[in-house]
Amino acid sequence: MSTSDGVPVRSRGVISLVEKNCTVCMLCARECPDWCIHIEGHTVTHPADEVHRRPRTENVLDRFAIDFSLCLYCGICIEVCPFDALHWSPEHSYAGAAIGELTQERDRLAGWEATAPAPADRDA
Amino acid sequence: MSAAGSLVDAVRSAVGEGSVSVVPGFGPVSVEVPAASWTTALQAARDAGATYADFLTAWDELEAGLVVVAHISTPDAADHVLLRTRVPSDDPVLATSIGIYRGLAWHERETHDLFGVRFSGHEPLEPLLVAPSLGLHPLRKDVVLASRAARPWPGEKEPGAESAPARRGGRRRTAPLGVPDGWVQEDA
Repeated sequence: MSTSDGVPVRSRGVISLVEKNCTVCMLCARECPDWCIHIEGHTVTHPADEVHRRPRTENVLDRFAIDFSLCLYCGICIEVCPFDALHWSPEHSYAGAAIGELTQERDRLAGWEATAPAPADRDA
Repeated sequence: MSAAGSLVDAVRSAVGEGSVSVVPGFGPVSVEVPAASWTTALQAARDAGATYADFLTAWDELEAGLVVVAHISTPDAADHVLLRTRVPSDDPVLATSIGIYRGLAWHERETHDLFGVRFSGHEPLEPLLVAPSLGLHPLRKDVVLASRAARPWPGEKEPGAESAPARRGGRRRTAPLGVPDGWVQEDA
């Protein structure tokens, strides 16, 4: 299987992000061998209510960026993510004219999620 | 695999059955030979038809020394083998291969830059990638990546924290891999 421009769908083209799966746990940023993942977040506290008897805290993602000028496409971040927030996408046309343009922010990373192929059938 | 045996057999008979160890892998077979037999093994592979030297490099196995590896192939890539040997880390000297494969000169210069392996018979080993004034061989495992201690680590932040944690008291800071204790300065 390949994309419309002839690239195999399981190519390591770019890393896409499912924003709602990210818990800002920092595991990917810590495991990244060349420090190309930048995450910022903050914690919000939800007060107790009738359903939740105790106050709850939740991490909210403010920034998720991957610097593809440093990324070596090893996929360790995808492997370590406990919540499958990161996936390989075969999308590859994101070159830039300056090195700073290779840092892709969360909106673009999230946009590529639609091009990430579904996982292979493990029973096949 | 059918043809792969012929290069391995050529090396084995040239170097001597007892001193060669064959390591199967996912790719081509690796053949480890004693450092003294390095050029003998390369010459045997070349004489057996492997006239193309793809690359030569090394890796650091700490106490077990440095492993130098060369990927040798027939020109049509029908048969290929990884020849490797081991040299001690404190005095890594190996006979040069440029008399057999002239194209490996670049690779020997690079391996000298990155690992400090000296290739006798290939002098001078002109620096290629690393300025000699650096005074170290960056791909040796005992080399500390000093920039890792100087640059802020993106993984230093705690989950949910907006910035790196305050460094007074409390928990010890999470330090990036490869930075020895004491290299990251703790603020007073």
